[in-house]
Amino acid sequence: MKKLLITLTVLATLLFGVEIMVKGSDTMLNLTQRLAESFSAVQPDVTVSVTGGGSGVGINALINQEVPLANASRAIKSKEISQARANGVNPVEIVIALDGLSVIVNGKNPVNQLTVEQIGAIYRGEITNWNQVGGPNKKIVLYGRQPNSGTFVFFREEVVKGEYSANMRQMNGNAQIVEGVKADEGGIGYVGLGYIKHIEGIKPLAVARKPQEKFISPADEAAVKSGAYPLTRPLYQYTNGKPKGAVREFILFELSEKGQEIIAQEGFVPVTQNYIERNNQILQ
Amino acid sequence: MSKKAIITLVAVAATITLALEPGETELEHNGWFRYTNSATDWQITKPAVSRFTLERGYLRFSHQWAPIFFTKMTVDIFSSDKYPEGATIRLKEAYADLGLPFIKEFNLTAGLQKHYFGLIYSWDYTHPDKSLADDQGVCASADYGLTVNGFLPAGLGELQLGIYNGEGYKYAGKYLNTSPEFLANLRLTPLAGLMVGASVFTNARDQAHYKNDRKGRDNTNTYFLNADTTNINRLAFAPMAKLSFGPVSILGEYIGYNYIRSYTYYQLNRDSANNIVDSTLVEKNKKYQFSGLDLLPVITLPGRKVEIYGRFSLWNRSEQSGDTMAFNKDKSFVRYGAGFNYHFIRREKGKPGLEFQFAWLRTQTKNEETKPADIFMAQIRFEWNSVIKKPEL
Repeated sequence: MKKLLITLTVLATLLFGVEIMVKGSDTMLNLTQRLAESFSAVQPDVTVSVTGGGSGVGINALINQEVPLANASRAIKSKEISQARANGVNPVEIVIALDGLSVIVNGKNPVNQLTVEQIGAIYRGEITNWNQVGGPNKKIVLYGRQPNSGTFVFFREEVVKGEYSANMRQMNGNAQIVEGVKADEGGIGYVGLGYIKHIEGIKPLAVARKPQEKFISPADEAAVKSGAYPLTRPLYQYTNGKPKGAVREFILFELSEKGQEIIAQEGFVPVTQNYIERNNQILQ
Repeated sequence: MSKKAIITLVAVAATITLALEPGETELEHNGWFRYTNSATDWQITKPAVSRFTLERGYLRFSHQWAPIFFTKMTVDIFSSDKYPEGATIRLKEAYADLGLPFIKEFNLTAGLQKHYFGLIYSWDYTHPDKSLADDQGVCASADYGLTVNGFLPAGLGELQLGIYNGEGYKYAGKYLNTSPEFLANLRLTPLAGLMVGASVFTNARDQAHYKNDRKGRDNTNTYFLNADTTNINRLAFAPMAKLSFGPVSILGEYIGYNYIRSYTYYQLNRDSANNIVDSTLVEKNKKYQFSGLDLLPVITLPGRKVEIYGRFSLWNRSEQSGDTMAFNKDKSFVRYGAGFNYHFIRREKGKPGLEFQFAWLRTQTKNEETKPADIFMAQIRFEWNSVIKKPEL
């Protein structure tokens, strides 16, 4: 059945148009799928197939020339650039959106804000009860991602600043973290902005870099845009060389007014002027 | 050792100790089930070798103690008629790997690990046969040692610096000497599609005792009494390059290698009645020089299911004879061939893979009186892995 479907897809693509394969970040999965659907509506001869697996998996697929476009919620590593070049692949970086990585807790948890240092201590396993950070006497249950996830790497480098506690439950994707925290009054997790919108039973925490600084919610778009929100990060796409043909058209659509509108609708933040200029230089 | 270095070491050790918690464990198996047919000059119906074997059976165990610290052990269980059981086991890797806290994407690796020399290091067996330097024993593919290895910033390439036993992974205990091997390997990737680099190692003394030891009487007047046959002043150099353009790539290296074989024996002195009266200890040195070229062009067909490749190798060996270096045409050769791989499931990190490989290689020694030898290899190569999640404490 699967073979038949693949054969039919290949035949359909051969007969009717072009297919673009996109692979990588789970944080960007729903967002890119939505962008792909809207793009296909304006470019019906182009099919965009989007799969997840994690940023590392997407970049690896680009290195092996399996996909023309990789989604990543972290920047490509030196090792990956070197491996790509050795394989004849020249990774080119585009920033399509900004994300305010959101730290979420169960909706019944009275804790509303934490500092980056407190969140780090929680994920290192040094703070284990909510009463140590002004909450109820309840054991903290950690939800996080797997090592192939760009979000796992970003959060480790920017917040944990050490090793994750062995007690952290490693979930397959953002949606699983949301479900876990929703069902667990002691739970804490981290997900992309797009995964907290319109979901009841969880709440994002306001975060401050230091105790004396202002606590900012990831829902504050202006703060994410300006970088005032401590866990702001760019969301990347990588191509082999300067984007061409249908891939370029798709990226141009993502960066267009319509595309950026979809990005905002999906809960993420449109790119800022400095990224627009950087993207334009690549896409010219 | 300076105070600063000691403090740094203690700080690193303390950080690791604090961070240590049980993490993920990975179990992996990589097997090569091979049919080999070896014949002279196309006479495959009268082969010298026709056999099915499990050529490799790597079992790998690794444990991630912390994101910057993991340990790994690999054993190779493969077909062998050295033992009545029909198989043998060989320790291939056993090391601890620590991400260096102050240098991004660099690790310190201690134990039995990869030997970062030329194509031996990066040979991924797209071709089922070994790389030329591995095949000709320039050095072993793994050895016990301590290395600093990692990637240069901005994707510029990779660098490895190492100190090894020098005798290779098959030697341990009494066959090792006190003279370590020093190695440096640099790969640069300045542009997409171009990798250039070079490896060099030097070893003042390779005991190689087990390989070269000769005991007993060689002829009536020579007695090798536990002859101290060692290779001294070993030096190998291997510049390499890889060019990739779309589905086409070519990987190649030049190999330069030389050493001096040092050996001692007793010359037996006899009287007129042919009785041994005494003996004289004789020490001799003999220089060896090798040079080689190994090329592997590969075309990957669309869909990445099929790879078609060629192979071209040159190997020249010269040995000291009196004051000159004599070319050994029986042990120098030209080798060429072709083959293909079909990937049922393409290997990808963390996922199983299954492929069929077929290769033909023809070796013609530089002695034109000998006929060329052909070898055909057909093998199924399979790989699977399983991750055991860390226990919830």
